[in-house]
Formats: sequence, structure tokens, C-alpha cells
Amino acid sequence: MKEKAQVSERFREFKAELTSRPSIVLGMGLRGFLRLLSLKNPWTLALVALIWLWTLGFYVLLSTGDYPCENLEFWDSSGDFKRCQPLVYYNDLGLGGVRLFLVTLAAISSSGLIANDMTDQSLHLYLSRPISRLDYLIARFIPVFLLLMCVTALPNLIVYVNQWGEAGLEFDWIKNHKWLLLDILILGSFYSASYSIIGLTFSTAINRESWAAGAFFLFVYGSAIIIEIFYLIMRDDRVLLLSIIHLLDIIGFYIFDTQPFFMADFGLFGIDIADIEVFGVFILIIGSCGIFVNWMISQMEANK
Amino acid sequence: MIEARNVIKKYGAVTALDDFTVDIPEGKIGILGPNGAGKSTFVKIALGLIRTTSGSITVLGEDLDRNTVDIRRKIGYMPEHDCIPNSMTGVEFLIEMGLVTGMSLQSATQRTHEILGHLMMGEEKYRKIEEYSGGMRQKIKLAQGLIHGPEVIFLDEPTSGLDPKARQEMLETINGLTEVSGTNVLLSTHILQDVETVCDHVIIVNNGKLQMQENVKKLMQRQTDVIQVRIGGSTEDFVKQLKKSGITATSGGRGLHVPYVNDKTFEQIVDSAVKSNCQLYEMERATITMDNVYLEVVD
Repeated sequence: MKEKAQVSERFREFKAELTSRPSIVLGMGLRGFLRLLSLKNPWTLALVALIWLWTLGFYVLLSTGDYPCENLEFWDSSGDFKRCQPLVYYNDLGLGGVRLFLVTLAAISSSGLIANDMTDQSLHLYLSRPISRLDYLIARFIPVFLLLMCVTALPNLIVYVNQWGEAGLEFDWIKNHKWLLLDILILGSFYSASYSIIGLTFSTAINRESWAAGAFFLFVYGSAIIIEIFYLIMRDDRVLLLSIIHLLDIIGFYIFDTQPFFMADFGLFGIDIADIEVFGVFILIIGSCGIFVNWMISQMEANK
Repeated sequence: MIEARNVIKKYGAVTALDDFTVDIPEGKIGILGPNGAGKSTFVKIALGLIRTTSGSITVLGEDLDRNTVDIRRKIGYMPEHDCIPNSMTGVEFLIEMGLVTGMSLQSATQRTHEILGHLMMGEEKYRKIEEYSGGMRQKIKLAQGLIHGPEVIFLDEPTSGLDPKARQEMLETINGLTEVSGTNVLLSTHILQDVETVCDHVIIVNNGKLQMQENVKKLMQRQTDVIQVRIGGSTEDFVKQLKKSGITATSGGRGLHVPYVNDKTFEQIVDSAVKSNCQLYEMERATITMDNVYLEVVD
């Protein structure tokens, strides 16, 4: 009885020490990230492993040549496009096999984050807590952003370290390639943030996890294929801005200060579009996603 | 606890709250009203989820215009609809809700087990929520609102969709948990018995306006001391005749309410009916519940 009375007393006297809003948001984000990496998500783990194996296999174990870009190769028969292995890899987030896995991973990992909260309506409980709508969205953005950073920036950093190793572990090499380090981080963040925002938009718009994942993938890859066909017919570079993949690739090239190009119909095509058009469309798409998600959540907030 | 001043809330052309002014004291307060009366809108405004079109509102002394988010540290909320993730266990869910409110993991874990102990949940707390009965889900929903030890908990239709037994259990749980934790309650419902069981103060809302605010006990005491009378003929003459006997009758429900003083009041009613040429159809000492009050006010 005495013990029971003590429990009741403690229950009555309880006053929780509550942490700050940024800590709540960061905590939510990190817990979400760890849940994505848990064994309950075997497909997510498999894709992460696949991307790492791909990276280590093709760009570390099988890599050859001087780093980075001391030896430029001509990659097409016309001799128009010069490239080097490491820069292609860094940009290969947008060009090669990694891109396919990356988009799939983004689709799978982001699709449930808001959709599940909307389906089981637990969104109402989160929004009744001391966090704003924006806090909630940031908390849902963090897990998928961190996960994508793990397969973009992190493997790229290993490639960077490998290049440094092949260059003889000279400290001067690091000093001379600070730009590369920065670009790797910017590129990784750029791809991760962009795919996270678009993924969360699909998760909000189609509040069923599997459908949202499918729609995201079809939208990103499907639109790219259609746009490439249109490009081959119209031969207007600006058409490419309508494809998320190509738009992100173009900005990816800008980050490495190289000339944008893309591959279609087994040929390489240079891209020449004004910066303002590229960044204007990008801001428009990401801004629209943000406004749409915010509006959808506000509707949920006001209605049962 | 909550002060609303001339609050207006419009959804397009629809006015959900119309110049709504109320002072809600501390304690267990029930907001009664029919569907669409503006109860849920008021709760959401008080929780800072939606903004007023005009007017001001303070909750626990804090102006909601200045502080819509941090005020929720002091408030717990139990929504009407089912909103619990099925994939979690009861323990996982409550800990997560504690963490999202800003509690430390240790504190949230300890509090979770204390609350679940009060809810008499044993091993089932480690089962997935999808396996819970309707009553258990409601209890978990209540527990998440109390996890951080709020000063007040807003309960939105807490017994909605429950069978009579589960409903009674839920009301007992609300009473038990809020008593033991010393939490104020704002109970929004259209079920009168819930208010009678849980609350010590009632507010009746209709068409977005405050219709009545009263202490439940006083209300019940006052309301039981009447004789419900139904007559045929001129009600006006009957009321005048009663007045001559020193009795003031008021209209109530389908007939008249005559204050009961003693058994002689019945004779005075009969005499007045005879003198005013009215037919006395019904005369009954009323054991009026909240239903009568509610219908009177809402009608």
C-alpha cells in the first residue's frame, strides 16, 4: 500500500523537464533516421549496401588513372566531351547506376514518412505537441536527408580519400583539392535535399506508402525518358528542365564547374541553358513542393 | 484557465464561433453542444492549431496570439478520432509521444510505465496497438495526453464509439487519472452523461455562441426542484393564476416548470388550472437530468 501511495504521490507531483524545440525536432529526425536503418526495412538496407558496393567496387577497387583529372579522356567519338574518372563518378550520381539506386532509395525511404502519419492520423498528435508545422516537416526531412547523405557524400568522401591515397597521401594534395572536398559535400547535400523534398511531397500528396514510392519513381524516371524523347524531336535544351533528373544533373555539373551534358540515344549531348532559367525552374519546383506540403498539412491540422 | 474575448472564427462563409466570450475556470469543465456548435473549433483554437479570425484568447495566462506553440507544453490533447500508429506497442508509442513533447528518454520511459500502471495494463502494453480493443485504444490515447504532466488536458469526445461498458470504464479512467495527476480537464462532448460523470462545471455552446455556463452540482440541485406541468388551454391565464398564488412558472421543454416548495404546490397547480379553465394533462415532480437543461438551452 505504501509503495502504491508513493507511486501516486510521484504521479501527482510529476513536472516534466521539457527540452527546446530544436532539440525535439533533431531528436525526432535522428530517431526517424535510425528507424530507416533498422532491420525492419530490409529493402532500404539492401539498397544502401548496393550503392556502397557499387561505389567501392567501381570507383575504389577498380579505379585507375591520375586523380583528379590530370588525364583527360575524350569520351565520345566527336571529341567534344572531355572527362576524367573521378569527376564522372562524383557526377555519376546523376548519370550512372548509382542514380537508379539513389532514386529508388529516395522513393522507398521518403514515401512513408508523412504518408503513414496521415493514414493513421497520428499527424494530429504530433501537431498538438510543442512543435510547429515547419518543425514537423523538418523532423520528417532529416531522416531521409541523412540516409541519402550516407549514399551520396559519404561514399564520395571515400573515393576522395582513395584518390588521396593513390596520390601518395601528400598533404599538399589535400590543400590543392579543397575545392573537390567542398564540391563533394555540396553535391551530396544538393541531391539528398532535393530528392528528400520531392519524396516528402509525394508522401504527402499520395498518403499511401507504396503508392507514393511508385509514383515518385515513375515521376522522376518516367518524366526523364519522355523528356529525352521530346528532346530528340525538338532539339531544344530547355525541354530538359522539365525532367527532375536532368535538372538536378545540370546543377550537379555547375557545382563541379564543368560543362553540362547528358546521354540519350547512345550519344552525348551538350547542354546550353541560361543559369537563370536553370535555377529559376529549380526554385519554382522546390518552392512549389514546400508550399504544397505546408498547405496539405495545414488542411489536416484544421480538419479532423 | 481559458479566457476568450469576442472570438470570431470563420471558415469562408461559415461562422464557427460568433463573438464568443467565455471565462473558463480551473477544474473539470465540460463543453456541451450539438454537432457543428463550434466545440471542436474552440478546442483547436485553444490548442493553437488554428487561428481566430478576430478576438483574443488566453490559455493558462498566456496570450495565444504571441505563443501558439510553446503553450502546448502545458496542454495535453486527446483527439476524437483514432490516431494511434498500429505498428507500435503501447509502451513505444507513449515513449515516442513523451520524446516529441520534449521529455528525456529516461523521464518518458518512467512516466510511461507509471501511467500504464494506473491504467492497469500488464503484459498487453508490450503488444502492438493494432491488437488492442477500442477501450484500450482510447485509454492509450488518453495516456499520451497526460504523458508530460500537463496543467490541462483537452478531451475531444473521449467516449465516442464505445459500447456502454467501455464508456463507463473510460469515464472512470478519466476521473481516476486526472484526479491522481491533479490535471484540469476541458471535455468537449455532445454526450450529457459524460459531463455529469466527469465535470464540475459546464458550458453549453450552440451556433458558435455561449448559451450557458454553470456549476454542474448547482445546476442539478436547482433543476430537480421543479414540477413539470403540461396543460391544455391558455397557458398565459394559467401562469397569471399561479402568480396570484405567489408562484412563478417558467417555460421548459414541452411544458412549464413550476418550482417545487412542498407537496402543497401540487394543490396550488390544480387550483390554478381550474380557475384558469385549463386542462391539466400532466404534472410530475421532475428528476431532471442534464438532458432537460441542454434541450432547453439549445432549443
